Amino acid sequence: MSDLSFVLYSLKYRFLNSFLSIMLTAFGVSIALLISQFGNHIENRINLDGRGIDIVVGAKGSPLQLILSSVYHVDIPTGNIPYKQAKKIMNNPQIKESIPLALGDNWKGFRIVGTTTNYIKHYNIILSEGRYWDENFEVVIGSSVNLNISDEFIGVHGLLEDGSSHEDHKYKVVGILEPSGTVLDRLILTSLNSVLDIHGLHEINKPSEKSHEYDLDLEYHKEEHNHEHHKETHEIDHNHKHHEEEHSHEHHRGQKLNENIDHQKHSKDKNKINETNESKSPEITSLLITTKSPIANINLPRSINRESSLQAANPALEINRLTSIFGLGSKSFSILSLTLILIASLNIFSGLASNLENRMGDLAVLRAVGYSKNRIFKIIVLEGIVVVMIGLLIGIVLSFLLFSILKQNLSSVNTINASFIINIDFVIIIALVFFAGLIAAIFPAYRGSKISIANQLSRTI
Amino acid sequence: MLFKIKNLEYQKHNKNILSNLNFNIEEGKHLLILGSSGSGKTSLLNLMSGLLKPTKGEIFFEDFKYSTLLEEEIDKMRATNFGFIFQKLHLIGHLNVKQNIDLIKNKIDPKKVEKLIFGLGLNQKCKQMVSKLSVGEAQRVAIARGLANNPKVIFADEPTSSLDDYNTQKVIELILDQTKQTNSTLIVSTHDKRIKKYFSKITEMSL
Repeated sequence: MSDLSFVLYSLKYRFLNSFLSIMLTAFGVSIALLISQFGNHIENRINLDGRGIDIVVGAKGSPLQLILSSVYHVDIPTGNIPYKQAKKIMNNPQIKESIPLALGDNWKGFRIVGTTTNYIKHYNIILSEGRYWDENFEVVIGSSVNLNISDEFIGVHGLLEDGSSHEDHKYKVVGILEPSGTVLDRLILTSLNSVLDIHGLHEINKPSEKSHEYDLDLEYHKEEHNHEHHKETHEIDHNHKHHEEEHSHEHHRGQKLNENIDHQKHSKDKNKINETNESKSPEITSLLITTKSPIANINLPRSINRESSLQAANPALEINRLTSIFGLGSKSFSILSLTLILIASLNIFSGLASNLENRMGDLAVLRAVGYSKNRIFKIIVLEGIVVVMIGLLIGIVLSFLLFSILKQNLSSVNTINASFIINIDFVIIIALVFFAGLIAAIFPAYRGSKISIANQLSRTI
Repeated sequence: MLFKIKNLEYQKHNKNILSNLNFNIEEGKHLLILGSSGSGKTSLLNLMSGLLKPTKGEIFFEDFKYSTLLEEEIDKMRATNFGFIFQKLHLIGHLNVKQNIDLIKNKIDPKKVEKLIFGLGLNQKCKQMVSKLSVGEAQRVAIARGLANNPKVIFADEPTSSLDDYNTQKVIELILDQTKQTNSTLIVSTHDKRIKKYFSKITEMSL
């Protein structure tokens, strides 16, 4: 009989104990692998999506929120900024490239982004089908958006699926981007003017030809839109700022919500009377900037934050902040998975060590009939290795299955296209578990190989 | 000469168990080591089989001088030349009958093992777990295991001490019959005087 067969029969004989050791190992491995796989994917996403974007300019508010909403499209924007002010920044000689973004609507959760084709070129993505937009309401979609060329759809207000529909405007798909693994995979891109038009704002480089009355109605719509933003983001202070700019009202930061609502009502009444072209002037959500030099990355945000009512945030700094927050979480998970691996190893140790007491007679018989100390040592270590290997195998399969299920449900970090990869972390985890199991088996194996045969046999003789 | 024991001494916890023991065993002759509990007969059996090291003296088996052998060489010698039948049988609980016998299989071909199993009436029980066997069946498995490697010497420690007269006769005759077939030397340590009649050479040990 081979030693492996002997070990397998032994494990089968004490099935419950072996099963527990195997499953503990499997859970430890699967949790460690899942944390590693998702962690790597998010890190890659962060690096890929933030590539070449040095500064993001947007409305005052949380800088992290501005970065998350404008670069990674996972949060709600801090608000809008006047295009006129954005344009001034775009003309700054320290800037190499600037990409305006106008957010506000979605289709089935995919954000509709008003921008320029530079946004696509920035990520070096090419069209797999169709062409770029020429007219308003023509769109180019990311590879994850489930639409085809010439499909038409109606955008929904807000960034959540259950917003009100812009029934009077239909978007038409004219181009589809190649899959890139970037945030653009799940965006619907159109011209800035499409987004401005749908929200009743003057289009860029196109003076308003609409009647005063029509503008009023649209302004009501815009006010409602702003009110919804209040609900969604609770950015009371920020919207105050907008009101200040648009209607020259004097407000103080930190006013309570009820005061704010009263103010809005008051503002609406006043708008009806004092409507001006200024209030319909184009606004965008943010500006993605690539600077000409690293020094500009430091100086430009300072001057924008100091000298304008806008906010400039540095993605690298904010992402450092974000990863330190995430890092705390993933560290906890890493500790948890290491603890599970340790428990699994201790269980293997305890299983082998406690079982050893019952098997001393068996081992003595094996020694008596000619099994060497080394062979006994190898048999016990092999038992530990078999447990670890089966645990590893189940753990890898389990983590792969869980990864496939979980990635469908973590759409906010675009994990749908994430694939399970065998990287250095994967190898380290497998090696760590394997050696933990091996070490756990060594002590019982050493003890088992050193038994006194005559004493063990005479114990029951 | 199969075994040569010269000036053998064995101490355990500073107590003399065996002292100045000298005897020889010729090939094909059986030996009965008879003595009461604590007389050192099991220690002698363990010393002769290389499971214990003597405090003084020498043991020779054929050309092997135990004191000059490494532990691994003694293990190998044991695996090749010796078979064991223990009083408490020591069958391995997680293996079936065939697997318990196969553990010992060393240099003989599977056909001989099958013949042995058939000869001991175990052919119907091959796949049965040893924990499910009757005492008599288990005893036969232990004998089969002791003979499976076609040993030159079979060491049997108290093989009949817990059996009644009928089963004592049956077991000792079974062992002797098998040793005749394998041409082995049987060395039995026991306090059971009922089996004296089966042996021509008897070493009596006293406290």
